[in-house]
Amino acid sequence: MSGISGWPSLTVRAAVLAVIVILSPEGGRALESSAAEVGELLKIQAQVQSKLDAVSRAVVAVEAGDGAASGVIVSADGLVMTAAHVTSNPGRAITLILADGRRVSGKSLGVDTWTDAAMMRIDGNKKDWPHVSLCRDLRVAKPGSWCFGLGHPGGFDRSRGPVLRVGHVLKQTPNRLHTDCVLMGGDSGGPLFNLNGEVIGIHSQIWESRDQNVHVSVAPFLRGWDALKKSGVVNTWAMGAGGWLGVHTRISPGAELEVAEVAKDSPAARAGLLAGDIIVTLDGERMLDQPQFSTAISSRASGETISIQVKSKAGPRVVDVKLGTKPPEGN
Amino acid sequence: MKRALFAILHFAAAVIHAETPAAAPHDPRKTAAETAIRIEKPDGTLVGTGVIVTPDGYFLTKASEALKLDALSFRLPDNTVAKAREVRRNVRFDLVLGQIVKAAGLVPVKWNESKSIALGQWLLAPKQGGRETRLGVMSARRREIKGGSAAIGIRMAETNATDGVQITGIAEDSPAAAAGLKEDDVLVAIAGDVIKEYKAVHELIRSREPGEELEIQYRRDGKVSKCTVRLASRNRVLSNWTGEDYANGGISIRTDNFQEIIQHDIPLGPADMGGPLLNLLGQAVGINIARVDRVTTFALPMEIFWPSVQQWIAEDRHPPRAEAR
Repeated sequence: MSGISGWPSLTVRAAVLAVIVILSPEGGRALESSAAEVGELLKIQAQVQSKLDAVSRAVVAVEAGDGAASGVIVSADGLVMTAAHVTSNPGRAITLILADGRRVSGKSLGVDTWTDAAMMRIDGNKKDWPHVSLCRDLRVAKPGSWCFGLGHPGGFDRSRGPVLRVGHVLKQTPNRLHTDCVLMGGDSGGPLFNLNGEVIGIHSQIWESRDQNVHVSVAPFLRGWDALKKSGVVNTWAMGAGGWLGVHTRISPGAELEVAEVAKDSPAARAGLLAGDIIVTLDGERMLDQPQFSTAISSRASGETISIQVKSKAGPRVVDVKLGTKPPEGN
Repeated sequence: MKRALFAILHFAAAVIHAETPAAAPHDPRKTAAETAIRIEKPDGTLVGTGVIVTPDGYFLTKASEALKLDALSFRLPDNTVAKAREVRRNVRFDLVLGQIVKAAGLVPVKWNESKSIALGQWLLAPKQGGRETRLGVMSARRREIKGGSAAIGIRMAETNATDGVQITGIAEDSPAAAAGLKEDDVLVAIAGDVIKEYKAVHELIRSREPGEELEIQYRRDGKVSKCTVRLASRNRVLSNWTGEDYANGGISIRTDNFQEIIQHDIPLGPADMGGPLLNLLGQAVGINIARVDRVTTFALPMEIFWPSVQQWIAEDRHPPRAEAR
C-alpha cells in the first residue's frame, strides 16, 4: 500500500484493469435489468448534483513540502481535515489553495499516523470559511451505499477544478472505508462524502487495482478530535470497534510478534500481558505480523474476551483478556 | 450484459417520454455495444474502438491509435470481421474517418448535444470494443487541453559529434523503448534526415504530431539498423519517465492538444478510445479521445467535430467532378 500525496511516493504496481461503479462483471455491482436500477441512478445523480456546488467550495489543494495533496474545510474558523502522510508533523507551514484559486497559509495541527488522520488550520481570524459537516454516525456508510469523492489528483489545476468520483462503499473497518471511487496521487487528504454531502472519510491510500481505494473514516477524527485540534500526536492503540486491548507491538529481532509496550491500566495490563511477551496465537489463530494482529483485535467488540497464547523466557502461557473501551487519546 | 443495458435504456426512454412527450423518439436498443466497432490487429489484439456514424459503414476512431486502417481488422457488432478504407484523417481532432468496405444496414449512433451535460451526470461508454459497457460521471469542468508537441522518450549526449548522436537514457514504457532503442545506441538518421547534432533531433521530433511514425536509423556495436518509432505526447512521456503505470492499464499516445473536452471517470483503457460517449438514453454526446491517468478520461464533445465530419462524408460520397474542357 502506498500514500498518494504526491507522485514520488506513489507506487502502483500491477496493471490491473478493474472496475468502478456498476455494469461491471469483475468487481462493481452488475446493473440489474430492472426499472428500479435506472430510477436509482437518476436519484443518485440528483442527490450528488444537489450537494456538489456547496461541498466543492470547501475542498482545498494542499502544498506541504514538495507534495501536492488535498483537504477539506470543516469549520467556519478554518479547521481543515487531511491525511497524516500529507502533513507528517504538527506545526508545519502549509499552503492551501481554495476552489477559486486563492492561496492562503495554514499550519498543520495533530496527526494520527496509525490511522492517517490529520488536521490543519488556516491562518488568521476569518470566521466564514466555506465548510462541510461531518457524518457522526458511520453506521450509515454500509457496504453497497453510494458515496462521492472530491480532490485535486495530480495537483491543483484552476481550469479543471476539483475532480469528482462517484462510487460505492465496498468495505468498512474500524478506521477505514474502502470504495470504488478511484483515487490517485494528489487526492490524499481529500474528502469522501455520503449522499447528504457529509464527510465520511479522507482519501488515504490506494492498492493496485482501480477498485481498491482506501479512505480514513471520520471515526478516528471524531475519537481524537480534541487532541488533533491541539496539535497532539495521537497514538492509536490497537483497538476494535469500541474494543481496546492496549498494547504496542513490534517485530522482534527473531522475526516474531513481540509486545513492545503495555498501556497503563489497560485491559492488557490487567490481564498480565508484559512487554517482551511473544504473541503466538489469538483465539487459536497464528499471529505473524502487526497488521494481522491489529486487524484481529480491531474486528472484535468491546467486552469480548480473547485468548492470547504467548511465550516468554518464563515459558509459554495463555492470557485471557476482556477487551475494554479506549480512554480519550492524545498526549 | 447487453441485455441488461437494453432494459435500462428502454426504461430511461419511458421515463423521458412520460415527462416530456415532445422529446424526440429514439430507439433504446441503439446502445454502446451496438454502435461500437472493435478495431483489431491481425492477431486479434484490440488496438482501438470505432463508432459507427452511418448505415453504410462510415465510422470514426482515434487517429493516433489507429495508424494504418488497411493493416487492421474491424469486428462489427454482429461479430463479423471486415476491412476498412481510410477516408479522412484530422490531426486537430485526433480523429480518423473510415468506411467499412461493402457495409450496409449498420446501426449508427444517434447524436445529441453535449452542452447540457453537467458535473455528476451519468455517462456510458463501450469497453473492449463494445463487449462491455461501463458507467461513470462527468467529473471535472469542460475545458481546453493545451499541449501538442511530441516526444519519443530519449536523452541524448549533448556533444557535437559528427557521426550521429548518442542516446544516454531511455524512458520506460516510451515510444523509444517500444521500438527497441537502447541506451548507448547512436542515432544516425530520422525520417531520412542524417543527424549531426542533438538539437536537430529535438526540433525534428517536436515538430511532429503524437501518433505519427518515424523511421529511425541507429548504430549499435558498429552496425546500423532501422526501427519505426511512434511519437507520443511530450507531456505524457516527460511526466512518466520512469514508466510507472499510474493509470492501471496504460494511457493514450496522445493525451493533450484538444480544443475542448468532457472529462469523466468511466474506467476505460487506451484501446477503448475512439468509441462513443453516451448519455443514459444511449445517445452519443462525444467520442472518447484520451485515457490520461488513473482517474481521467477525455472525450471530444460532438459539437467540436460532427459538423466537419458530416461535410467529409458528403464530400466523400459526392466528390467534386472534374470540369469538362
